[in-house]
Amino acid sequence: MAARDRFGGAYADPGFTPLQRAIRNACDISHYEPNLALNLEVADLINSKKGNAPREAALEIVRLINSRNQNVALLALVLLDICVKNCGYPFQLQISTKEFLNELVRRFPERPPMRPSRVQHRILESIEEWRQTICQTSRYKEDLGFIRDMHRLLLYKGYVFPEIRHEDAAVLNPSDNLRSADEMEEEEKEAQSAKLQELIRRGTPADLQEANRLMKVMAGYDNRHKTDYRAKAAEEVSRVQQKAKILEEMLQSHQPGEQVAEGDVFEELANALQSAHPKIQKMCEEESDDPEAVHKLLEINDSIHRTIERYKLVKKGDHDAASRIPKGTLGTTTGVSKNANNELSLIDFDPEPSSNSSAPQAPTGNSLENDLLGLSIDEPAPTGGISLGPTNPIVSSAPPIQQQAPPPPTPPQAFKPNYDILSSLGSSRPVSQSPSPRPQHATSVTATPPPTDPFASLVSASPRHGSPFPAGATPTQQPSPMGSSSLLDLAGTQSSESANKADDDEWSFASSLPQSNTLPSTNRVEVLNSLLKIEFVARRHPQQARQIHVAALFSNGTNQVLNELHFQVAVEKAYTLQLRPQSGREIAPQQQNGVQQELLLDGVDMGKGNSVKIRYKVSYRVGQEQKEEQGMVPSLGIA
Amino acid sequence: MGGSVSKIMGKIFGTKEMRILMLGLDAAGKTTILYKLKLSNQDVTTIPTVGFNVESVTYKNVKFNVWDVGGQDKIRPLWRHYYSGTQGLIFVVDSSDTARIEEARSELHKIINDREMKDALLLVFANKQDSPGRLSPEEVTNALQLNKLKDKLWYVAPSVATEGTGIFEGLAWLSNNVKTPPQK
Repeated sequence: MAARDRFGGAYADPGFTPLQRAIRNACDISHYEPNLALNLEVADLINSKKGNAPREAALEIVRLINSRNQNVALLALVLLDICVKNCGYPFQLQISTKEFLNELVRRFPERPPMRPSRVQHRILESIEEWRQTICQTSRYKEDLGFIRDMHRLLLYKGYVFPEIRHEDAAVLNPSDNLRSADEMEEEEKEAQSAKLQELIRRGTPADLQEANRLMKVMAGYDNRHKTDYRAKAAEEVSRVQQKAKILEEMLQSHQPGEQVAEGDVFEELANALQSAHPKIQKMCEEESDDPEAVHKLLEINDSIHRTIERYKLVKKGDHDAASRIPKGTLGTTTGVSKNANNELSLIDFDPEPSSNSSAPQAPTGNSLENDLLGLSIDEPAPTGGISLGPTNPIVSSAPPIQQQAPPPPTPPQAFKPNYDILSSLGSSRPVSQSPSPRPQHATSVTATPPPTDPFASLVSASPRHGSPFPAGATPTQQPSPMGSSSLLDLAGTQSSESANKADDDEWSFASSLPQSNTLPSTNRVEVLNSLLKIEFVARRHPQQARQIHVAALFSNGTNQVLNELHFQVAVEKAYTLQLRPQSGREIAPQQQNGVQQELLLDGVDMGKGNSVKIRYKVSYRVGQEQKEEQGMVPSLGIA
Repeated sequence: MGGSVSKIMGKIFGTKEMRILMLGLDAAGKTTILYKLKLSNQDVTTIPTVGFNVESVTYKNVKFNVWDVGGQDKIRPLWRHYYSGTQGLIFVVDSSDTARIEEARSELHKIINDREMKDALLLVFANKQDSPGRLSPEEVTNALQLNKLKDKLWYVAPSVATEGTGIFEGLAWLSNNVKTPPQK
């Protein structure tokens, strides 16, 4: 047979590259049916050599597809299918070149025959399959346009495409599996490499221009379009979490006696979760330089694990054991109440500070944990303003209350530098105030300053302890007198000790102090002790049940005059804050309590006084030096 | 179509076409050489190449398609995308930069050890011969360990790119030694 003459013994020919030899070997006429091992060998070879290999392979395979021998052609078509499915974008880019596609249909007559041959049928099937999968779902589908064009052309000529089996073709769609940041970056790099190679090979002016642009991106000179892979990974993790949540909810509503059928939604979800498991572990390794992220990933991992365990038990019918597993995965409440905000908020990943129109943790929020996390996320960047978590634990639906600020003691121009920061921040928490006048932004809702770490907000729905045990107890919305404040108790009563730690990056929320009602009704805490010393004297008015009166005392610890003092305070939205004007802006050297200012804090129930969180920001000048300090006011230490 | 006609003409009248890849460390003078080839009599000022430049130069009946790819270390990993189909490699060395000659050697050997470059001719420009303290072409040859190469046709040409001296001599060597006409 002619084909045998042409190919027989050809592998030994030194004119062939190893790849060509492997391809010819896989499609050799001596095989009566496709040899999967040989085919996969070819795919491996392409994947390992990269560079020009995908192109070389594609052209060699299509040459064999056009072989006169129908068997060889069919074998080559099977090999083509394997390569398209296993060699990813670099190979797919090659089958979508005009050159390849024209070659693929070279032996198609101008008019479709009455009955297409087996080879033609298979080619039509392949093109249809590509059109329905990679041309629509690939990340780089715009590079695969010629496949669609060829499909249209054949259709126009009257060719009929066979039905394809969607299950078979589904492999070509992007996988649903969890991928880590590094893996995604790797994949993207590979695609860029393949594209660059192809652009250089084509060499038309437009292609070369595009190649030059791509090179800049690949070499890292052009970072404008750089993808934040960590943010993407965080997004993927959250998707897995969502699945865990759904499964958890389904399991909870699952009645004993019902059967968990094979292959239904339960199983699908459980499988997805199970496959995510090792991936999350891998991500932990990759993120090992970020303890925060690792911690959160581990939490998620744990919760997913629990959900899977429960699923297994429920499936076995062992409902008792299943219900013994602590309930609640991350992002779900224990079924007591559905809390809209008690789930992971994706928007926090958004790296753009301005695009937050759909911020989910906008004012409807009502979980304590969110509040805490809000604090930990926007830990003070040097210029960051005053911010507290935007949600409030008690008055969830209360409209923001804006109070008229008292007239400023000094011209506002002096504060100009802070002014913008504050007003933009203040707009999201209408309660934060400064006694200098500023425009009322209270109506616009902006989100918290975005976290710099995409993983930071992953478990915004869970407390730091990482297990749902305490979570189950907390999101009660009624303020119970003392008990529920334990979570918020940042540093208990040891306020003076924690004063200087206030703006540390790490927040330690551990607090196991015995709750007692014996807190005094007045207390003095040190807020700041640097060149400028600030003390708060807080006390409860006997008549005003929900009001705390705070006197801020400013002392100068230097031997220079301290002037242009500007003190700003913000509190959570649950409370309202009134600032009386500062008694002055200048403190003489070493003067104690040279300036005073009164603060009235409204809406604080009896017993909650110790859990009020206040942030402050202060700017002043010592000699020629402009200073700015900010931080968290320690617990007031009063009832 | 026009391309294929001129190819046929080329076969008849003996014009050859040659794909040349020009590489080397940053600030060696690659882009200056490229534009000195293209615009012989003009002064050339260049900035560091981020990406690549490509020009066609016809010299002695040979059409050289010269690809000049940036040499900064961030770009070097991308060099391999340009190997395919290359018939001649021009490696440009700054002869006065003795501190980095070892780095140049290691990059050069990485390139010519690639399978796709195994048939390419190697022309080394020992550039910046006008600088004080430069290495002579022989010293460059030794520093790059060219004598160790087997199965490789190579040549070291001294050059001063800014004045255009030496570069056409280098091209002449390439055109005299190219064996196979390009297949693609």
